[in-house]
Amino acid sequence: MFTFKGGTHINEYKLTKDFPTEKIGAPERVMISMSQHIGAPCTPTVAEGDRVLAGQVIGDVAPDKLGCPVHASVSGRVAGIEQILGASGMKETCVVIENDGTDEQFDGLAPFEGDITSATPDEIIDVIRSAGITGMGGAAFPSYAKIRSALGKADTVIVNCAECEPFITSDHRLLLEEPEHVVGGLKIIMIALGVKRAFIAVEDNKRDAAGVLRDTVGGGDMIRVCLMKTKYPQGDERQLIYALLKTELPMGMLPMDAGCVIFNAGTCSAIYDAFTSGLPLMKRIVTVSGDCVKKPGNYIVPLGMRVSEIVEKCGGLVKEPRKIIFGGPMMGKSEWSLNTPVKKGTSAILLLSEAFESKPVKDPECIRCGRCVKNCPMHLMPAYIAQYSRIGNMEMAKKFGAMSCVECGTCSYNCPAKIEIVQYIRSAKNNIKAEERRLAALKQSGS
Amino acid sequence: MNDKETEEMKVVSPDAEAEAGAGEVKTDSASYPDLLTVSPSPHLRNHDSTRSVMTEVIIALIPALVWGVITFGLRALTLTLVSVVACVAFEALAQLALRRRITVSDMSAALTGLFIALNMPVSAPLWIPAVASFFAIVIVKQVFGGIGKNIVNPAMAARVFVMLSWAGQMTKFTAAGARYPFFGNVAGGYDAVASATPLAALKSGNVPDASLFDMFTGKIGGCIGEVSTLLLLLGGIYLIVRRIITWHIPVAYIGTVAVLTYAFPKTGDAVTFMLYELTAGGLMLGAFFMATDYTTSPISPMGRIVYGIGCGALTVLIRYFGGYPEGTSFAILIMNLLVWYLDSAFKPRWFGASTLKRREREKKKKEKTEKAA
Repeated sequence: MFTFKGGTHINEYKLTKDFPTEKIGAPERVMISMSQHIGAPCTPTVAEGDRVLAGQVIGDVAPDKLGCPVHASVSGRVAGIEQILGASGMKETCVVIENDGTDEQFDGLAPFEGDITSATPDEIIDVIRSAGITGMGGAAFPSYAKIRSALGKADTVIVNCAECEPFITSDHRLLLEEPEHVVGGLKIIMIALGVKRAFIAVEDNKRDAAGVLRDTVGGGDMIRVCLMKTKYPQGDERQLIYALLKTELPMGMLPMDAGCVIFNAGTCSAIYDAFTSGLPLMKRIVTVSGDCVKKPGNYIVPLGMRVSEIVEKCGGLVKEPRKIIFGGPMMGKSEWSLNTPVKKGTSAILLLSEAFESKPVKDPECIRCGRCVKNCPMHLMPAYIAQYSRIGNMEMAKKFGAMSCVECGTCSYNCPAKIEIVQYIRSAKNNIKAEERRLAALKQSGS
Repeated sequence: MNDKETEEMKVVSPDAEAEAGAGEVKTDSASYPDLLTVSPSPHLRNHDSTRSVMTEVIIALIPALVWGVITFGLRALTLTLVSVVACVAFEALAQLALRRRITVSDMSAALTGLFIALNMPVSAPLWIPAVASFFAIVIVKQVFGGIGKNIVNPAMAARVFVMLSWAGQMTKFTAAGARYPFFGNVAGGYDAVASATPLAALKSGNVPDASLFDMFTGKIGGCIGEVSTLLLLLGGIYLIVRRIITWHIPVAYIGTVAVLTYAFPKTGDAVTFMLYELTAGGLMLGAFFMATDYTTSPISPMGRIVYGIGCGALTVLIRYFGGYPEGTSFAILIMNLLVWYLDSAFKPRWFGASTLKRREREKKKKEKTEKAA
């Protein structure tokens, strides 16, 4: 069993792990954001009134910039190009498509021709880019860029199926239902990178999935299915690499520096689909869960479907939700709008009632119990960083390692005094970065 | 917000609720709130609170308190009630006076009161715990900023304060089995004063009269809560199992005392002497409960070990060479003052530090070989 030092076991709440994935009917309108991934946002390549087909490119970025195209998830007429406020509070451009219900597919889509095993890295990277595939675990980093930057440097591929966040079961279901897609995608990545070693990391609360994967992988020692201890944040890339390879990756270094590239299970499956059916990334599995939905489950949702419509298709509400969270409850973002559309990185939509909300404490005082220190996966002393951040002493916050924080939230979760530790650290990090930028600017203008 | 939709749903809801009936699951009765809550992650919290943590410590101390009542009589309970009530009252009054939020419900003041009582001889007059409570809560805790801000352990500081101020009453220890009643005049005919306590005997280089078994189970004279090594050990293990404290401080503390007393026995057999030193006085109460006080102990694991070693070494030094037979209170108070320095000097090693170091070493090696070439 592989594990790391620190972290904490959180009540799993995997309510939907036995619910097979279900297709959800496409809505009448989809809002497809042009900021699906990390990097430069896409520019729409269609105009209002155009008819688009499912799988057609509707937004793209310049090839020299980080980013990949976005495709229409339904066929229909472009009703408009709108600006909406995204989860981060920044304006995002959205292409709104009115679904005509025919689901007519773009005819330019074709499976990869020829033998994949003898394909060149560039060919593979090209297919992955034009299929618009990004990391599907949450951060949504364009996959082609990850592969390209790892060419010649990586010797190990890790498939992250840890799914250490509570509630989320989308990867679990994918592994159970389509293990050959995940393993197939992994094999394509291995061919592109020319590596001979791969790990599929599964937390031990998904032993059934690990068994299915082992059967799919079959013999050979190139791909190993590894059981990880169920502990948050097992799915964090640094902890994953440490658990599997015992290499500590400090903040500021990338998995590549340890010879690793990490892909999410969903990403592998999407890559496989792009090669075998030619379909770009235009739908994904989303876990809809929480105590407020009538029919929680794992649904295949077209990109651009809005929260309110998804909930409606899931039978509506049973309780008044207090928070709607995109992603897991530990690192996900709480949404302020019911209009927010599903994106490539949306692994779950959680509707939590006030039962899940801890009562806010006014002026919480640290009692120095040391739980944040004990559980910090980066081995920091979060209580001190938070205290220094609170009184505005950024220099000391930095000395105590503020910049090494991965913001996993384990400290805040465990804090008996209910201090927003991780939020104080975020604020310290932002202040330190701002100060560094200011100094750099001063230096530049001075010279 | 999708205002229209929300409004419509709200209009629908009362009827739907009526139709659904009482026993059935209300499906359409819920609607979206007017405003969703937006907050930074994490959105889940565990159920522990300051109050639950303090309550656990109190639970761990109850066996020792019960034993104190059994050996010294119901008056042990009277003293406890006085100090607990006084601590809670002083905390509320001080917070009122300082215009702070009143936080007596977090149980920390009650815990301090319990500690004060456990560190009293049963024959102490009732006003002593009251004065000690005032000193602990008002002077040591609230004046320095309240919970989490005091620089020394309030109960320890208060114990030392009253011990130095009223040495006569505070060092008059009662033999086990005295049975003081709940109410009553202490000065009366109870065989109040025992012969020398085990610690005093050890100090003068003699083996105490009590057997080691009596020392371990607690059939000896001393403060209310410190006599039974066995029950304090059980309480301490309970706290470690419940993850309220970690093993670092008690193990380092008791280990250091054991090693030093074994290495430098004052009398007789080294092992026997060591065992007497470990079971005598307030060592167990100090190591498991007082030195591990959250606010006044380090939070870095390595810092905790160094802190424990410091407490142990100072305890033995004071017991051997100091003017008092007991050294735990002074040792813990002195180490309390060093907590910040211990934390910043013994930070846990950051994740990735080893990789960075190795890279640097490799880089230097490379440069050296290049230079040589």
